[in-house]
Amino acid sequence: MSGQMSQESDNEYSDDHIEDDEDEYDNYYYDNNDDLDLDKPKKSDDPEYFEFDLLKVEDVERLLNEEVEALCTSLKITPSLAKMLLHAHGWQRSLIIERHQRDPEKFLVDSRIVADKKNISQDNIMGLTHTCPICVQQLSKDEFQALSCQHLFCNECWDMHFNIQINQGLTTGIECMGKDCKLLVPEDFICGILKDTSMREKYFKFSFTDLIKSHSQLRFCPGPNCSIVVQAKEPKAKRVECNMCKSTFCFRCGIDYHAPTDCDTIKKWLMKCADDSETANYISANTKDCPKCHVCIEKNGGCNHMQCSKCKSDFCWMCLGEWKTHGSEYYECSRFKENPNIANESVHVQAREALKKYLFYYERWENHAKSLTLEEQTFKNISTRIQEKVMNNEGTWIAWQYLLKAADLLKKCRYSLQYTYPYAYYLDRGGRKELFEYQQAQLEAEVENLSWKVERAEISDTGELENLMDIAEKRRLTLLKDFLEV
Amino acid sequence: MAGLPRRILKETQRLMQEPVPGISAIPDDNNARYFHVVIKGPSESPYHSGLFELELFLPEEYPMSAPKVRFMTKIYHPNIDKLGRICLDILKDKWSPALQIRTVLLSIQALLSAPNPDDPLDNNVADLWKCNEQQAIETAKDWTRKYAMAKNNNIQ
Repeated sequence: MSGQMSQESDNEYSDDHIEDDEDEYDNYYYDNNDDLDLDKPKKSDDPEYFEFDLLKVEDVERLLNEEVEALCTSLKITPSLAKMLLHAHGWQRSLIIERHQRDPEKFLVDSRIVADKKNISQDNIMGLTHTCPICVQQLSKDEFQALSCQHLFCNECWDMHFNIQINQGLTTGIECMGKDCKLLVPEDFICGILKDTSMREKYFKFSFTDLIKSHSQLRFCPGPNCSIVVQAKEPKAKRVECNMCKSTFCFRCGIDYHAPTDCDTIKKWLMKCADDSETANYISANTKDCPKCHVCIEKNGGCNHMQCSKCKSDFCWMCLGEWKTHGSEYYECSRFKENPNIANESVHVQAREALKKYLFYYERWENHAKSLTLEEQTFKNISTRIQEKVMNNEGTWIAWQYLLKAADLLKKCRYSLQYTYPYAYYLDRGGRKELFEYQQAQLEAEVENLSWKVERAEISDTGELENLMDIAEKRRLTLLKDFLEV
Repeated sequence: MAGLPRRILKETQRLMQEPVPGISAIPDDNNARYFHVVIKGPSESPYHSGLFELELFLPEEYPMSAPKVRFMTKIYHPNIDKLGRICLDILKDKWSPALQIRTVLLSIQALLSAPNPDDPLDNNVADLWKCNEQQAIETAKDWTRKYAMAKNNNIQ
C-alpha cells in the first residue's frame, strides 16, 4: 500500500513528517509493523495491495487543467470544449482523439457539442429587433445569443435558465432551451451570460464535483468535510486510507472497505440490514445468560471467548457452546447449518428458515462490529495498563509496545472477519462455500484467541502473542487471497 | 404579487382567443397563475365522452420551470396515480422553456389516447394493462362513466 501526497505536499503529509503528536504516535507504531517478525507480504503477494495518491483540491485542479490543455493542443479546440469532451467520455483522452480523428463532425454531434445539421433552427433575426420566444419581449438584436443550433433567446432568459439549473445542482449537463434540443451549453457561454458572480462561483464549485465524478481514476474522500481526492491508476475495489481524516473506504464504491465481499454484494447486504434491522435488533439483545449457571452476562470486551465471572465456565458468546470445542479444527460457530429438506417444506417454514439464515449471519456481522467498538476501548485500557506496568517495574515501556501492535492487528483481522459474513450469506451452497466457511472459521478462531490473549497478556507473553498475531494475519491473507476478486 | 410576466399574459390571451379543440383552460379570477382546465376524453379511447377536470399552476420560475398539473377527476390510467399526479416527461426532466401551457395540455390529451404501461406511475393499473388489456380498458370506461360523466349528468 502506498499513500503519498503528490510531490508538492510531500513535506506536509508524508509519513515521515507528521504535524500533531497524536499522529506521530499512531504512525510510529504503524510503521513499526513493518519490521515485525511477520513475513510481511510483498506487493505481488498482498491481495489488498493498492497504489493510490491523495490529492488536495489545488492538485486536482492542476491535474484536470493539464489534461484539458493536453486535449486542447492535440485537437486545436477551446478549453471549454475540451472539458465537455473529457467529461462526456470519462477523461479517456486517447479514445477522444481517436474518435475525433475518424470523423470530427460526427463525434462533436454525438457528444452534443455541435448541432446536427437537420436540427439547426431557421429562426434568423431579420430586422433590428427580435421577439424572444420565452419572455415574448421585443428586444434589440444584440440582446440575443444562440449556440450552434441557432435557437435564439435573449440574454435575460438564458441567465434565468442557468440560474434555475445551477440551483438544481446541474452544471455540465445544462442543455439549450430549444424544444427537444439536447445541445450542451459550454462553460464559457454560461459564464459570459451569468450576471451574478456568486452564481458563477456556484457553477464552478458544482462543475468541479461533476468533473471529478466523471473521472474514473479520481474519487472524493467520503470523510465528513474532507476535501481530499484519491487518485488511483486502476479503479479497483481496494482499500484506501485518507491521511487527513483517517477514513478507510473502498476506492470503487466509496463506502466502508468491505473485502472479501464485493461492492454490489455489500450494498445489497447493507440495504437488507437497513430493512430488516428492527427484527434483528430485537432478537440480538445485548446480554446473555451464562449457559452453566445462568447468571446474566453483559459483554464488555471484544473477545467472544467468555468466562463467567461467577462459575468460571468458558463459553462462546455467539453459540453459547463450550469454548473448548472451539479451539481446534472443529470450530463451526461461523457456519450456518441449512435444513437439507428445505425445498420440501411449506412456504411459511421456508420463510422462517430464510429469516433464521439471515439472522444467523446478521448476528455475527453485528457482533463483530460491536466487538470492534469494544476493542477500541481495550486499546485505550492497554495504554493505561502499560503505564502502570512500567511504573511497577514490570518490563520497559519499549518492550510493552508489542501489545499495542497486537491490538492493531486484531482490529484489522476482526474487520475483515466482519465483512466475511455478508459474503458467506450470498454465497451459493457448494464446495466453494464450504472452503470459504472453513477458512472463515479458522480466521474467527484465531481472532478470538488473539483477542483473549490481548486482553490478558503479560510481559512474558511476547513470544506467544507474536505467534498468535502471525497465525491470525496469515489466516486473513489466505482467505482474502482465495476469495477477494481483483 | 409582482406584475404578471408578458409571456404568461400572451399565452393566456392566445388560450382564450384560439382554444385548443377539446381543451378549455381558464385562469382563476383571483390568481392569474392558476388555471382551471377541462380536457374532453379523446374519442376512440376508454375516456371517450368523459370530461376531466385538472388544475394547472405556473410556478414563480415559469417558463424556466415546468407548470404543475394534476387531475382533479378520478381516472383509471397507468400513468396517472390516485392523487391525479401525471407521469409525463415534459413535466419533469424533459421540460423546455420553449414549451407552453398549450403544448403541455395537448401532451396530456395525447397521453389519454395512448397510455404507456411500460413507464407506469401506478403499478397496479399498469400491471393489469399489460397482462389483461381488455379488462383494464373496461375498468377505465367504467371509471369514466362513474366519475367523469356524473357531474355532467347532474348539470343537465
